[in-house]
Amino acid sequence: MKIKITILLLLIITIATAFIYEQPPHKLTYLKLIIPKGWPKPSSDIFASNPLTEEGFQLGRKLFYDGRLSKDGNFPCASCHQQFAAFTSYAHDFSHGFNNTLTTRNAPGLFNLAWMKEMHWDGGINHLEVQPLSPLTSDNEMAETIPDILKKLNEDTTYVRLFKAAFKDGIINSQHLLKALAQFTGSIQSYNSKYDKVKRGQDTFTISEKLGYQVFLANCNSCHKEPLFTDNSFRNNGLIIDERLQDKGRMAITGNPADLFKFKVPSLRNCTVTLPYMHDGRMYSISKVIEHYRTGIDTTKTTLDPLLKKRLTISKQEKADLYSFLLTLKDDELLHNPRYQEPGYVRKLSIDNH
Amino acid sequence: MFVSNQEVNKIYEIKLYPMRLISIFCLSFFLISQLFFIGASAQLNSQPNTIIKITFLHTINNQPLVLDSTAYTNCWNETFTLSRLSYYVSNICLQTTDKKVIKEKNSYHLINDEDSASRSFSFNIPPSQYNSLSFLIGVDSLKNVSGAQTGALDPLNGMFWTWNSGYIMFKMEGNSPQSSIVNNKIEYHIGGFSGVNNSLRNIQLNLGDNGVSLIKGSITEIIIRADLDKIWNAQHDLKITTTAVCTTMGALAAGIADNYSKAFEIIKIIQE
Repeated sequence: MKIKITILLLLIITIATAFIYEQPPHKLTYLKLIIPKGWPKPSSDIFASNPLTEEGFQLGRKLFYDGRLSKDGNFPCASCHQQFAAFTSYAHDFSHGFNNTLTTRNAPGLFNLAWMKEMHWDGGINHLEVQPLSPLTSDNEMAETIPDILKKLNEDTTYVRLFKAAFKDGIINSQHLLKALAQFTGSIQSYNSKYDKVKRGQDTFTISEKLGYQVFLANCNSCHKEPLFTDNSFRNNGLIIDERLQDKGRMAITGNPADLFKFKVPSLRNCTVTLPYMHDGRMYSISKVIEHYRTGIDTTKTTLDPLLKKRLTISKQEKADLYSFLLTLKDDELLHNPRYQEPGYVRKLSIDNH
Repeated sequence: MFVSNQEVNKIYEIKLYPMRLISIFCLSFFLISQLFFIGASAQLNSQPNTIIKITFLHTINNQPLVLDSTAYTNCWNETFTLSRLSYYVSNICLQTTDKKVIKEKNSYHLINDEDSASRSFSFNIPPSQYNSLSFLIGVDSLKNVSGAQTGALDPLNGMFWTWNSGYIMFKMEGNSPQSSIVNNKIEYHIGGFSGVNNSLRNIQLNLGDNGVSLIKGSITEIIIRADLDKIWNAQHDLKITTTAVCTTMGALAAGIADNYSKAFEIIKIIQE
């Protein structure tokens, strides 16, 4: 009798403990990507198989700023993608990579990536999650291997904890590494520039900005389409080919001769802080870019975009107004958003002791 | 913020860990006692699985492939050794004699010659009479555009192009004195999943006129030979002298895929 009661008691305790302590609860704070009013819906949901969470975002953010993702520790993602420059390499035609190397293309800005179907100037990357594989492993960028990165992360108790928080099974593998990075970069959004505020009726253009907007709509909007300020297409914009780089552009990806010298149309959002311009960063000012479309287009190439066969004809005044308008695309809420900053980074006020 | 989280972590490790041990102990006690009390009825509930096992064998010159040592000769009288052979087998389907198609779930396998365990895999299947087996050499287009994957599709397996997203469907590397490339290398990395660049090939294999009967609880092993001699001339001519390397998608890659798609044949079906 006593044995039976003991067994019964033990069973009850067992069941109770199994229910209470079987698994520590795994809580995720789900986030939603903001689709600003009047914007098109992204062509596909980049978070469809990678639910966006605060935990995943924070892990991705830490990884983005961590030099240990590169071979010698000197090249975090953020070394080429600086927040104050809308996540481009500020004032660098090419970015610096491992062992005194240079990249062969200008680092593109990282924002509104959820609306971007293909990444890189040639569109070679077909999903945001797999993009980091390219800079992480390229000899002239971060030059690291995936197994080495995973080893470094596994040896760091902070990462062990952060991966556990962000993913149910908590495993540190390439899939979770890439998904976390995508949660961070895919969440970087730009929709609060003066232009956006004017569109929402929260601000007004100056006369010059308004005139510049008219110039923009008449001459630029067909490729740099509002509200993303790119149509994400690939076009040959008539640059003279650099003989050393011999960059074939989109054709290197598709193998299609019709894609020769075509590059992705970049967004004009934040363009006043993303200098230099073009896929090889050859132009250091917006004035030079406008001048290219006025007088510099190489019309001899067969793949030249049909829209550029007629050169841009705008007056000096219109050029100045256009520049005023482009300044309204600068989004300070992107450039200084603390959520996108390096974790633990505190902006210190400089105090004058005199 | 991270400092505070570390503190949380400490608390977590100190407090919850023994709790978990207790729970595991209690749970195992519970399970053992379950076995004692209702052990007999458990046996009645067990369902015998019907298992199909698929094994790949690689041959060159009608001999089993030996990496890194044996020198082989192809139909063009070119000599070569191989150092690596790996390829994807995916979307395995079996068809019953009454035209029902059974698909393996999450069917992605990376066959790597130097890892004998990778050359063989098995899965459960409903008992029936089957007369054909089909699979893709390569990874279907959907998985090529669906972001970061894991397991057989993990990019760290070295079968993923990082500069032009997509899986390398088939990889064969080695050396040949006829190669004009540095270190006399031969390197065929075949990829591309759409349009004219599509290197995916569907392999259809017949399981005999009357099919194979898979009875409940049985294990059936299908041994497939990949005859690598086919890569040099099954449909298009491939010569080391002129083409020792193919590492981009395109017509050449698609042609090599045509050739190796002719290499697969069933050589044996073993039933227990």
